[in-house]
Amino acid sequence: MTVTLTIDGRQATVPKGTLIVEAAKQVGIEIPVFCYHPKLEPVGMCRMCLVTVGTPLVNRATGQSQLDADGLPIIRWFPKPQTACTMSVSEGMVVITDSQEVAADRKAILEFLLTSHPLDCPVCDKGGECPLQDLTYRHGPGVSRFDYDSKHHSAKRYPLGDLIVLDRERCILCARCTRFQSEIAQDPVLAIENRGRDARIVSYSNPVFDSHYSGNTTDICPVGALTSRDFRFHARAWELTNIPSLCNHCGVGCNTVLSTRRGQIARIMPRQNETVNEVWICDKGRFGHHFNSSPYRLTMPLIRRDGELVEASWDDALQHVASRLTSIIEAHGSDSIGGIAGACLPNEDLYLFQKFLREVIGTHNVDHRVGLSATFEDDTVYAVGVGTGTDLGRVGRDTAFLVIGSDLDQEAPILYLRVAGAARHGATLITAGGRPTKLDKQSNHSLRYRYGTATHLLLGMIHVILEANLTGNETVPHRVNGLNELRANVADWAPERVAEITGVPPDEIRAAARAFGEAKNGIVLYGPEGLGWGNGTQGTSWEAGSPLRQAVANLVTLTGFIGRPNNGVIAVLPHANSRGAADLGVVPDRLPGYVPAERPGLNAQEMLGGGVRALLVAGADPLAGVTLADELEFLVVQELFLTQTAQQADVILPAAALAERDGTFTNLERWVQRFDPGLPVPGQARPDWTIIRQLAVLLGADWAYATVGGVLAEMAQAIPLYRGMSYEQLSQPVSLSRRMSHYIYAGMSFQAEMREGMQWPALAEDGSAKLELDWLDPPAPPAEGDGFTLVAPRVLYDGGTLLGQAEILGTRLVQPHIALSSADAAALGVLDGQGLQVSANGQSISLPARVDGLVPQGVVAIPRNLKGAPAESLLGEGRIFSRVKVVKG
Amino acid sequence: MLSEAEHQELNEILKKYPDKRSAVLPALYIAQRARNYLTDDDIRGVAEALDISVTEVQAIVGFYTLLRKDPTGKYIVQVCTDLPCALRGAEEFYRRLCQRLGLPPQGGTTDDGLFTVEAVVCLAACDKVPLAQINLKYYENLSDDRIDAILDGLRRDSEDA
Repeated sequence: MTVTLTIDGRQATVPKGTLIVEAAKQVGIEIPVFCYHPKLEPVGMCRMCLVTVGTPLVNRATGQSQLDADGLPIIRWFPKPQTACTMSVSEGMVVITDSQEVAADRKAILEFLLTSHPLDCPVCDKGGECPLQDLTYRHGPGVSRFDYDSKHHSAKRYPLGDLIVLDRERCILCARCTRFQSEIAQDPVLAIENRGRDARIVSYSNPVFDSHYSGNTTDICPVGALTSRDFRFHARAWELTNIPSLCNHCGVGCNTVLSTRRGQIARIMPRQNETVNEVWICDKGRFGHHFNSSPYRLTMPLIRRDGELVEASWDDALQHVASRLTSIIEAHGSDSIGGIAGACLPNEDLYLFQKFLREVIGTHNVDHRVGLSATFEDDTVYAVGVGTGTDLGRVGRDTAFLVIGSDLDQEAPILYLRVAGAARHGATLITAGGRPTKLDKQSNHSLRYRYGTATHLLLGMIHVILEANLTGNETVPHRVNGLNELRANVADWAPERVAEITGVPPDEIRAAARAFGEAKNGIVLYGPEGLGWGNGTQGTSWEAGSPLRQAVANLVTLTGFIGRPNNGVIAVLPHANSRGAADLGVVPDRLPGYVPAERPGLNAQEMLGGGVRALLVAGADPLAGVTLADELEFLVVQELFLTQTAQQADVILPAAALAERDGTFTNLERWVQRFDPGLPVPGQARPDWTIIRQLAVLLGADWAYATVGGVLAEMAQAIPLYRGMSYEQLSQPVSLSRRMSHYIYAGMSFQAEMREGMQWPALAEDGSAKLELDWLDPPAPPAEGDGFTLVAPRVLYDGGTLLGQAEILGTRLVQPHIALSSADAAALGVLDGQGLQVSANGQSISLPARVDGLVPQGVVAIPRNLKGAPAESLLGEGRIFSRVKVVKG
Repeated sequence: MLSEAEHQELNEILKKYPDKRSAVLPALYIAQRARNYLTDDDIRGVAEALDISVTEVQAIVGFYTLLRKDPTGKYIVQVCTDLPCALRGAEEFYRRLCQRLGLPPQGGTTDDGLFTVEAVVCLAACDKVPLAQINLKYYENLSDDRIDAILDGLRRDSEDA
C-alpha cells in the first residue's frame, strides 16, 4: 500500500505509514530535526521539524476530493504547523517546507533552544559535527534577543558514570539518549527528571549509567551535552583521520571508524552497516582500544639466549626459527611440528598459517581451539547457517528466535540489541538457558534447563514439532534424508521424560516448540552454556558439543528454516574471527572450506600435552597457567604483548595489531568484511601474515604474496566458500541508493565510507544439496549428588590482556568472584563479599561470594577470562562445567 | 521502604492493572503517605515492587510536584499566590505567614518539622482568597488570625497524638 503526496511541489510515493520527514528525505528534501531519529520512536519534542500540512477536502457524501474552479483538489490546511516527525503521510497530502512561515518557525524554535545554550562551540567536542551548530547556521538567528545575564546555568561537567560526561547547559532535552536506553538498549537507566527549566537528564542506576551501550548516546546526542570521557577535549572533529575498521572484541564484526590523530586512536565510532551493527557499537568496542598504544607492546623480535630474551634483528630471528624448524623436521619428521593460531587473527593470516603448516612443514597439527575457543567449535553453520541476505534488523512478527545457552548481552552485545529489537517488533523470542539473562525480559518463552541438558530440551522440542507435524513441508520431503530415523529416535524423548531430565515443565516445552514450529521463519542462536558436560567418555568438550549442534541442525532442517534469508543457525562463537578460523581449516581434521583432512593431525590439547617438539603460536595464549611440556624443544610466539605463553618462548616475533594493518574477518553471520590500516606500526612489529610468509620463504616455499589482497585472491580461488570475494569488492562503498535508504541525518559522523561485506552461502542454500538428519545420542545428564555445578559464563568486561589496558573501563571490569543464589548463600552461611572456597580436580580457590538472584540453586558461577583465570584453573582446558565442592572460607 | 501492610495494599492495587508499571503513581502515594516525602529507599522499594528501573521512578517523582524527595513537615501548607489571588492580597498574606513562622520569604519547613509552607500556582478557588490547602484540605477566606488559629489547632493535635 503506497500513498502519494506532494512536498514542496515534488511528488513522493511512499509506503503507507511513512512519516513526513522520511517521505521528504526520499525526494531529497531535508527537514531539520533534533529529537527525531529513524531508529527511535518519534516523540515530537523539539519542534524543529514544523512544516505546513494540508489534506484534500473530501466530500463526505461521495468520498471524493472536492475540486475548485480549476479542477484542482481543494486543500484544507491545518491551522497550525505540524511536526513532520510524528505525522504520517496520507493520500493527496500537501506539505510545504520552504515557505517564509516555516522558515520563521525554524528560526523561532532555534532561538528558544539557544536561550540558555552556552554557545561554547569553540571548546565543545561536538563542534564541527554538531546538528545544533549546523542547523543554527542554516536556519537560526544570528543574534539572540535574550538577556545574557538571565541565562539559565546548570552543571557543565556532570559525570554520568565513569564513561560519559553530561553538560546540562548544552542539553536541549530531545530525549534521544533516554529513548535509546529504553527502546534500543533496553536498559532504562537514563530519564528526564523534573520539568520546565529544572528538567535534566539523570541516571540513578548503580553503577551510574549502567549499560553496555552508553557510548552510543554520545553519537546520537544532537548537541555537545553527552560526551565520552575518553574523547572529551582530546581532539577537534576536523583534525581526525577517519579509517574504516572493524571491532575485534567479539564475533559480531561491528563496523567501526577509527578516528586517529597523530598516530593515535582518538576515538572509535560505529560505522553504519544495517546488516551488521546498524549505527551502534558496544562500550567494549568503543573504549577497549587502548591496548593499541600500550607501552607494553612488543616492538622488537626477541631470541632466548642463555635463558634470557634478548632483542634481535628480524633477519636473525627468522633465520633462527627456520634453522631450528629444519633441524627438528630432519631429526623427528614434519609431525613433530605444530601450530596454534588465535581466532582473533584475520582470515588471510589464518589461511597462510594453516597453509604454512600443511604445505611448507607438511603436518596437519594445526588448531585454534584454545581458551574460550576450546569450549565449542562449530561446523553446523557451514550447512545450515542463516541464509545470505539475513538482516536481523528487519525481521519482525513472522519470525521466531530460539536463543539457547547464550547470554547475548555479555557475549555479543550488538547481536543482543538486534534480537531484542526483533522481539520488540513482534518476533517470537524463546530463550533457553541454565540461568535467566537480560534477554529473558523480552522473551515470550523462557525455558530454564539444568546445566548440561540443553540437548535433551531440544530433543523434546523436536519431538513436539514432529508430533504436531510442524515440519517444513516445502523443503523437508525432497531435500532431507533420515526423517524417519529421526522420528524413531526422538520418539523416546516426549516432553514428560525431557522434563524430568531438564527441569523444564512439559507444557512449557510444548508451547515453546509449537511457537517455534508455527513461525514462518526461524533462527536459532546457540552459545557455550548450552553444551554438554564434556567429561571422560566424551573426550574434549567440543566433541561434547556435537549432540547439541546436531540437535540444532536437525531442528532447523526439519522445520524447513534453512536456505532462506532470516532462517538458519548462528553460533555465538567467542572471537572476532572464530567463524573464519573454522572456515579456513585451522583445525587438525579439516582443510579450508570444511573439507575433511585425510590424515588428521594433533589438536591443541595434544600439541600442548607434549605431542610436538616445536610449536608456533600466533595471536593466542594457550600456555597461560600451563607449564611447557617436557617434549617441547622450541616455541615461537607471534604476539602483541609478552603474554604468559610469550614469556616461555624461544623466539618472540612482534606482531601488528588490527588498527595497524589491513585484512578481513568473517563474522558470526558469515559476512566477510575488510578493515583498513589506521595507525603506524610500533617499532619493528609486522603483520602476522608477513611473518608467516617470510618464514615460508626461508623454508624454501615460493610464496610471493605482496598484499593481503593477494592472499584473499588465492583464498577466493582455492576455497569454494570464498569464491567471488575480492579485496576491491569488499572495500566498495555501498551504492548511493542503498546509502540514501539508510541515511540518518545528524549526530553521526559519516566521513568514513559505508561498506557492506560479502556473505558466503551456507550449504542449504544450494537447492540441490541433500541435508542429513543425523542422530547423536545426547550426552549423559550431569549426575546429581553432593556439591555444586560450576559454570563459567562469558562476561563482556573480562580481565583479558586487551581490555585490561583500557583504564577508562577499569571500574567496570569484572573482578574474580563466585556468584551463587541467595538460598545457597544462606545454607553455606556466607554473606555478600565473604570468602568462599571452591575445589575441583585437586585445585582449590578462594574468592569473594556474590549473591546473585539470577544464579539457580545448586550452581556457582565464576566468569571466564578474569584476572588470574580462576574459572579456567578449576575447569581445565575447554570445559564449561564441572562439579565442585564449595565451603565457606 | 514499604512496610508489609503497604506491600499488601500495593498488591491489591496491582490487580487492577494489566502491567505492573502502570501502578507507579498509586505505589508512590502509598510510599509517601507515612512521612509526606519519599526517601531513596522508598523509591527503590517501589521500583523493585513494580520491576522497573530506579531511574524511571526517580524521574516520575521529579515530574510531579506532589511527590516530594526532601524532608517535609507533617502538614504541608500551600498558599496560592497566582495573579487573581495576588490581586486579593495573597502575596502579603503568604509573606506574613512565613514571617510569623520564622521562615524565609519563599517558605520552607519549620524547625519543629511540623509545617512546610509553600507558594503554589492555582488551587482553583480564586473567589475564596486568601486560602490555603493543608494536607489536601481547603481553608478558605483566611485572615492572619484564622490561619494562626488553624495552625495552633494542628500543633495541639500533633502534641496530643
